[in-house]
Amino acid sequence: MSDSQIDALRADFERDLSTATTVTALRGVRDRYLSRKGGLVSGLLKSLGSAPPDARPRLGKLANDLRQQIETQLDERIAAAEADRPPAGAVDLTLPGRQPALGHRHPLTLLRERIESIFSRMGFLILEGPELEDEYHNFEALNMPPDHPARDMQDTLYLAAPVRSAAGSPATLLRTHTSGMQIRYMEQHKPPVRLIAPGRVYRRDNLDLTHTPMFTQVEGLVVGEGISLADLKGTLFVFLRELFGEERKLRFRPSFFPYTEPSAEVDISCGACGGTGRDCSMCKRTGWIEILGSGMVHPAVFEAVGYDPDRYTGWAFGMGIERTALLKWGVEDIRLFYENDLRFLEQFPL
Amino acid sequence: MRIVYNWLREIVPVPDDVDTVAREISLRGFELAAVEQGREPVIDFEITANRPDCLSHVGIAREASAIWGLAIKSGSVARDAGSDRIPDSGQRIPDSGQRIPADALDVVIEAPDLCPRYCAQVFHVTVAPSPSWLQQRLEAAGVRPINNIVDVTNYVMLEIGQPMHAFDLERLGQHRIVVRRARAKESMRTLDGIDRTLDPEMLVIADAERAVAVGGVMGGADSEISTATKTIALESAYFEPTSVRRTSKRLGLKTEASARFERGSDFELPPRGIARAAELFTQIGAGAPISPLIDRYPAPREKRQIQLRSARIARLLGQVVPPEDVPRFLKPLGFEVAPKNGHGEWTVTVPSFRVDVVREEDLIEEVGRHYGFDRLPVRFPPLDAAQPPPDPIIVRDRLIRQTLTAAGFSEAMTFAFIERQAALPFCERGVDPAAIQNPLSEKFAALRPSLLPGLIDSCAHNRRRGRKDIQLFEIGSRFTSRGEGCGVAFAWLGAATLAHWSGASRTADFFDAKGTVELLCRAFGVAAIDVAPSSAPYLVRGRAAEVISDGTLLGVFGQLVPAIGDARGLVAGEEVYVGEVDLEVLARVAAGDDLRAQSLPRYPSIVRDISIVVDETLPAASVRGTIRAAAPSTLVSISEFDRYQGKGVPEGRVSLSLRLTFRDPDRTLTDDEVQGAMDRIVEALRTEHRAEQR
Repeated sequence: MSDSQIDALRADFERDLSTATTVTALRGVRDRYLSRKGGLVSGLLKSLGSAPPDARPRLGKLANDLRQQIETQLDERIAAAEADRPPAGAVDLTLPGRQPALGHRHPLTLLRERIESIFSRMGFLILEGPELEDEYHNFEALNMPPDHPARDMQDTLYLAAPVRSAAGSPATLLRTHTSGMQIRYMEQHKPPVRLIAPGRVYRRDNLDLTHTPMFTQVEGLVVGEGISLADLKGTLFVFLRELFGEERKLRFRPSFFPYTEPSAEVDISCGACGGTGRDCSMCKRTGWIEILGSGMVHPAVFEAVGYDPDRYTGWAFGMGIERTALLKWGVEDIRLFYENDLRFLEQFPL
Repeated sequence: MRIVYNWLREIVPVPDDVDTVAREISLRGFELAAVEQGREPVIDFEITANRPDCLSHVGIAREASAIWGLAIKSGSVARDAGSDRIPDSGQRIPDSGQRIPADALDVVIEAPDLCPRYCAQVFHVTVAPSPSWLQQRLEAAGVRPINNIVDVTNYVMLEIGQPMHAFDLERLGQHRIVVRRARAKESMRTLDGIDRTLDPEMLVIADAERAVAVGGVMGGADSEISTATKTIALESAYFEPTSVRRTSKRLGLKTEASARFERGSDFELPPRGIARAAELFTQIGAGAPISPLIDRYPAPREKRQIQLRSARIARLLGQVVPPEDVPRFLKPLGFEVAPKNGHGEWTVTVPSFRVDVVREEDLIEEVGRHYGFDRLPVRFPPLDAAQPPPDPIIVRDRLIRQTLTAAGFSEAMTFAFIERQAALPFCERGVDPAAIQNPLSEKFAALRPSLLPGLIDSCAHNRRRGRKDIQLFEIGSRFTSRGEGCGVAFAWLGAATLAHWSGASRTADFFDAKGTVELLCRAFGVAAIDVAPSSAPYLVRGRAAEVISDGTLLGVFGQLVPAIGDARGLVAGEEVYVGEVDLEVLARVAAGDDLRAQSLPRYPSIVRDISIVVDETLPAASVRGTIRAAAPSTLVSISEFDRYQGKGVPEGRVSLSLRLTFRDPDRTLTDDEVQGAMDRIVEALRTEHRAEQR
């Protein structure tokens, strides 16, 4: 026995230990070094007699230390390896789970339900109505008599022959807005009125990145004594900031709609550039994005439904849900909402 | 409306920053289409349909005047109607030296309802190109220069808003202008070279014999100014908006003139148009008047007067506007404002060019516009009543979405109009699809009688992009010539369950479609449904079913006829299962809101399985019926749990296994009782259906 033999054995052991990873391999290492018969360390100890007598105590201690060290290291490694070994009946936790199939609601539905819930909390009734309308409810009662130039603003799809509408009266056109529903509601109910009317509407627009001949609109109407433009501003602030974020600013610009007077278009500060407009293609460098049209209900509309315009005032607004969805989610092509590509639909939350 | 910045500055001295001018004006209701910088800056505003007066530089100048408190520059452009100089009859014409008689032109209005005012004047002219400043200005405003005469008429229109037209006097028969309705089938060639057939609802400008212009829309080719023209009759008139609009629509002819007349022009403007043109003719040496101004205005109109109340302004805007501000906003816009009854009430006289201002609210908008909507306070409308319950339609649709998405279907939305050909198989016999009179294209010519054609197209869209497993549904309106209804439809192709490493997935089949319909019915608490074979032409026979509840047809489902799927781009050989349910019927047969909870059973139930071999054509419903009839009332449920054909079962026969559950609400059943019931059931199945027990 010599110092060099002890060192060589330690080096061999450390190499063998590092390559043994399983319990079986570690037990093999134990046998190779520590077995009573033929173990390398046992053999080394047996050869102690061949060492010079004065070196025997020192070498004997070294050899015993080595044995002790090997035993400790192996015990630790074997215990660790046994702890890692899967118990009986264990499964591969990393394989994919079995999910029940779950479909997605359409993004326009998600947005519409969101809008409905915001207005519900503010005490608004949600109202649905027929998509086929008559001239009276779509135009005339809304201060758009025949040959009114404003009818050009909403290019209309007409039916080849009148059809009985869900509201009972003969319909001649596809509604260009959901306002007809509001007229029907006011014809049947006295103020106060506080409602939103979401639904599909139709205009004779060719398909392109920002237009579809059918789209979804939500309109709102509030009528009562002492309702003013200031109330419209307050309501839209709550609504649009909840939808787009508290940091957004709103701007009211005068505009024209035949059924409101005064009329205002509402812009929201651009989310892409934070309203600065700097090098922003989203808002065409203006810092603002047009989001909806609104105004104080025209007295002629009140007269058409039998409300006294001297006693009651009210406001109305209308917005396109597709356009809002484009802005909210950064969708680049409005047609995606009507192609129903599952790769698109599945991007939206359940 | 393209506003040439330097032209505007000639009328009102606006600030010298183009962007500021553009922004401030746009915030008063004139949306900005574009701002073009450069040597000749142009601000392009979108003018709303109610403001024809702003289809001119003077109109925009009035807005600027109100914004910056600037006076409109005095001079020809802004001169009052009263100061128009009308040349004397017999005036000496400098370049010709001729004396022209007062009757050089005769003007008669035969249709004063369509043309309440018509002004004209005869000019001696030298037709030539316009000077370059004039050409450049027209080009900046987006109008092509033609010759000095036409250019001046366009210039006046763009400057003050009065459309004008010049006729070659020598081409007017008997030097007469007759403003009348067109005769039936009367025709003329307009300036664009197109022959137009007119009708008596249209107004024409005619000479002694024939029409020479469509009133307010376009002049005629025959009386057009040419280089040979020496004398012109210059027209400046007021045409009724509705008539111009109808004529323009019917002829499919929109012009700068018709756009202004159909929105409503200024009935005081016609003589001023001629005066301004005369001035420009002199300035550029194009001509001089040789007749007096002829002004036919049989029934002059009064200006409107409207009472305006400060209290009403506050009620509508939600803010008190200082009374001293009101005249400050209105006067520069051309309104005359006279105080009435002391403080806070005014009598406002509306200028003739403001066709949009007819009631107090319209004036309040003017005040609000110039006060600034952004300065108005922000409030919340008080709640004075509890919110009514939501529309049942909304509750219904939400439940459908919840049920079908939980069953793996994603929601689709498709257009309500489809090809007529695609609609036909989905119409009931004898019912036509509702057609659109003015469709965008043949692809959108009919309203959908069913949601399925749209869903099938959406499936094909996905399939073409490599998606094999597709589950889609849509809730929406359906239409036929009988009216509008509402339905929900679904389409299913490919795997019935999500693919998983643990085993092969099954392909969706008829019973997946049936299960979907059953699930919908369950969601709505529909008590019982029956199915019967359907003859719907779009479903495969033998795999097509009607769903009936309470004697009413609730919907259909089954396998789509492969030819229909193939025609829309689906893959041949892949089975597609579809279904559609009428939502109005579903809502009617749905369980009401009066649920009573049942107490749980107190005594145990006894379960017995039975396997029988019957003819393969025997419906499971018949087996159930026989069992029910033979069993005592303690039989509480029957469920089929296996159906087998093959080894050990004779050809044409099928082995059916059923699980029967017996229970009595008031006591524990004995084995003997249940065995007795089972024996009677087996006996009944044998007699009724030649069933053999396995």
